[in-house]
Amino acid sequence: MYALLALAAGVVIGLLVHPTVPEWLGPYLPIAVVAALDAVFGGLRARLDNIFDAKVFVVSFIANVLVAAFIVFLGDQLGVGAQLSTAVVVVLGIRIFGNAAAIRRHIFKA
Amino acid sequence: MTSPESKPDPVAAGTDPQRPPIPALLAEMNRDHLDPGYAAAARRKSAAPAPAPDAGGTRRSTVLAVVVLLVAGVLFGISAVNRETNAPRAEKARTALLEDVDRAQERQSVLAGSAAALAQELRSTQAQLGAGGPLETVSALENAGQITPVTGPGLRIVINEAPADTAGGGGVILDRDVQLLVNDLWASGAEAISIGGVRLQPRSAIRQAGGSILVDNKPVFWPITIDAIGDPTGMQVKSVGLPGFGRFSSFAQLYDIEFDVSTQQRLDLPGGSGGALRYARAPGSTTAASSTAASSTAPSAAAPSSTDPSAAAASSAASAWTRTAPTG
Repeated sequence: MYALLALAAGVVIGLLVHPTVPEWLGPYLPIAVVAALDAVFGGLRARLDNIFDAKVFVVSFIANVLVAAFIVFLGDQLGVGAQLSTAVVVVLGIRIFGNAAAIRRHIFKA
Repeated sequence: MTSPESKPDPVAAGTDPQRPPIPALLAEMNRDHLDPGYAAAARRKSAAPAPAPDAGGTRRSTVLAVVVLLVAGVLFGISAVNRETNAPRAEKARTALLEDVDRAQERQSVLAGSAAALAQELRSTQAQLGAGGPLETVSALENAGQITPVTGPGLRIVINEAPADTAGGGGVILDRDVQLLVNDLWASGAEAISIGGVRLQPRSAIRQAGGSILVDNKPVFWPITIDAIGDPTGMQVKSVGLPGFGRFSSFAQLYDIEFDVSTQQRLDLPGGSGGALRYARAPGSTTAASSTAASSTAPSAAAPSSTDPSAAAASSAASAWTRTAPTG
């Protein structure tokens, strides 16, 4: 409950505050968003599976975002940034889809 | 994150269907969507039910989770607002470069226009002053060098590539074909020619770069209009039997390209670019010699691709230019 409220409040803050994203952070923002989506969907699924653990969620969220951004940063330095961000998006996208499917099965029983 | 009891027993690992020793990467990616940490934590919890002193720790992590969700929400909000930041950078850079090119081209045409106007002013002032002798020679040479704007009757030829969806397979007009056509025009008595608004001067080249035709290093666009000043009927009669015209009329029949020849009573051709002057220099000396020795006025190269003997005919025809009145 609090979690949903916090999420909604965060979205509203992000929309209202209009922070200017620094130029160097630009390429990592989409990747960070995908990683965050993955962690959020994982947490929701764990909640529905009744195995949610706040500590695991926090750690997995921070680690996911940082590792994804770091991989893209590394790729940029090596000149394969586009390919590595594709790899990150593919892996995280598959996980998001899988978790979303599990959530759907939980909610609709189908 | 791994707890001691979740470590697979080396003996049982081979037989346990749940935990193959080396899971195939793709199969694992397709199966383990959920972070294994949740399962591990649940197992740990069920193994050791949380005692009372742990309650503060769980509370803290719950608050942390809420904070993290708040951060996630802010992240989503920011990225929703900054959609233009996510827009492909290459696309933006490309548009900016295209705008730069457009601006530079506009500036170039403005400058070329003012240069032509100033040259015209200079020539008319010289004519008013009645300066004879060398200046007359210079203006005659400039006429022969196709630098001055000219007006007169002539032929207009419009060529265009076949539409892409025709059965002929989309015939392409190459720079060679345009060169042949222009050489035929010189041979049939043209005195001045412009292609797509670019005046041909003795050193102009008609080349191809990718899909576009470059005349004097300026791109011209389909459909291409070729204006040739000269005796319209005489040029039309003479040009019919020449190879370039024959080639284009057969192209028009076979490949459905556009090829229209029409006589015009009045054609206005701009002046050619003239090119940079090159100064002769005596070997060993450092001072430049006479500045009038511009190679662009050499009358022996009046056709753009001077492989055709008709180039000589063209340059001799260029001397009959009194009626085009370049000095206005």
